[in-house]
Amino acid sequence: METKPQETKSFSLPLGPIHVALEEPMYFKLELEGERVKHVDITSGHVHRGMELLATKRNFFQNVVLTERVCSLCSNSHPLTYCLAVENLAGIKVSPKAQALRVLAEEIKRTASHLFNVAILAHIIGYKSLFMHVMEVREIMQDVKETVYGNRMDLAANCIGGVKYSVNLELIEFIEKSLARTEKHIKEIVDIYAGDKMILTRTKNVGRISAEDVAKYGLVGPVARGSNVQIDTRKDAPYLIYGQLDFDMITETGCDVHSRAMVRLRETLESIKIIKQILRNIPEGELSTLLPHIPAGEAMARSEAPRGELFYYVRTDGTDMPLRLKWRVPSYMNWDALEVMMKDCEVADVSLIVNSIDPCVSCTER
Amino acid sequence: MSQTQNNTIDLIKDTFAKTAFAPLSWTTNDYGNFYAWLKLDSPAQLTEAAHVLQSLNARLCTVTAYTEDRSNEAKQQAIAYHFAIKSILFCVTVQIYDKETLEPLAVPSITAYFRNADWNEREFMEMYNIKIIDHPNPKRLFLDERLDAGIMTQLIPFSSMVHGTGSKNLWEQVMLEKMGYVPESYKQVLHEPAFTKVEETQKEAPKSQTAEKE
Repeated sequence: METKPQETKSFSLPLGPIHVALEEPMYFKLELEGERVKHVDITSGHVHRGMELLATKRNFFQNVVLTERVCSLCSNSHPLTYCLAVENLAGIKVSPKAQALRVLAEEIKRTASHLFNVAILAHIIGYKSLFMHVMEVREIMQDVKETVYGNRMDLAANCIGGVKYSVNLELIEFIEKSLARTEKHIKEIVDIYAGDKMILTRTKNVGRISAEDVAKYGLVGPVARGSNVQIDTRKDAPYLIYGQLDFDMITETGCDVHSRAMVRLRETLESIKIIKQILRNIPEGELSTLLPHIPAGEAMARSEAPRGELFYYVRTDGTDMPLRLKWRVPSYMNWDALEVMMKDCEVADVSLIVNSIDPCVSCTER
Repeated sequence: MSQTQNNTIDLIKDTFAKTAFAPLSWTTNDYGNFYAWLKLDSPAQLTEAAHVLQSLNARLCTVTAYTEDRSNEAKQQAIAYHFAIKSILFCVTVQIYDKETLEPLAVPSITAYFRNADWNEREFMEMYNIKIIDHPNPKRLFLDERLDAGIMTQLIPFSSMVHGTGSKNLWEQVMLEKMGYVPESYKQVLHEPAFTKVEETQKEAPKSQTAEKE
């Protein structure tokens, strides 16, 4: 019997804006040929809050609180980088002790943030037991945050000129014990993600983006490093005490969803290495300095947030409020690059690819 | 300062010394990071600056549009383009208004040199109502088409918001689309101050579900 060749139908598929990967709104209009994505059009702006305008109506102190509320997963990186920008502008010196404590908060947050993203990966591919396990391990870091800072997400650790917290011997011992538990589990989790057949089948060669396209789209963070691009603000333009710490920049060569997950997982072990170094040697000194008058001028600052380079620009006119405060989060470019990562992928992989950029809508739309 | 950083700074200085741009200014911070600042005379110089920066393998970090004076809303605008050249952050600033008439000037797109300028330019087009020349995809990024461009330069008084102006306009729009007109009875209710409506609502106690059944 003669069979007719199957026709490939082209059609549009609206996806989102709710629950594409996370419970944050982003709308995708996918142009499909059969099951393959040929083009993606992104519509954003569902939760734009105009925070940058709001920042110009708040004084320099109040903006520390405001920037901490841009996003929950990298909530420490925002006030930190804002403070770095203001400190650059006013020439404020931060004590070595405060610098160490700032790094401590950053790396605790990075560990928890990365674990959350790889847990969601397991959730999307239906590997529920692994999802639960990774979230359980992340919970140890959540406990650390709650115990040290009194909060699971917004740590309120930073202030202009230093930090607002310290750790005593009892807390150091608690963090070290928690790290030992976390590290043991993470090493097992790394092996699972590196070798499990189900994970490899769903994530290898999916959502590929080349090093050339990473440069073209200006990508940063684990997405860039997953395509073997060496870029990490902690190494490229060291700030705080990062230049004195021993840790590796993690890269992978697969350029796919799997590589990005492996970068994040292996980075958690580097973060633990950094935290241990800090806990062994917290310098003596002041926690913060007095806030001087912030002169008229402009300054830039950047830090390595969990999702990559976070950039802040502040412009002042000599009053106690910024004339302009601008921040650019790493997710901003990652969204745009999804058109490359999704090209010719299957519809079933779309949410997996979206998750692989560790998306943050509240950061992007601010 | 490391040798690599020294070399990058020398390369930037040498490259810009060969151009007709104004001299660069430099700042540094407590951690030994360096920042270069370039002021352009006019938006027409932007593409040339972008070309030079592209030749230095610069990465566009972001773009910031702003008004130069807090009291002068939306009139005297400028844009700061932020680049990273290895460890160095490089800021190019350009005023986008005519110095004599203060009329706004259009800005050439730099997407031909930096692909990721796309979103940045679309964002300041809608937030600051800045005109862009030759943008490959000049559609809205965040704001709905029905909202005014330049909303980031407008102050919406809190009093307008709490009096329900937004809700009233929205409801009138819904009625207009659905029925083709806004009934007089609705107009009367909608145009009354919000606090009056609250008082009137409080006069009539809401019927409970049980009472309705009875």
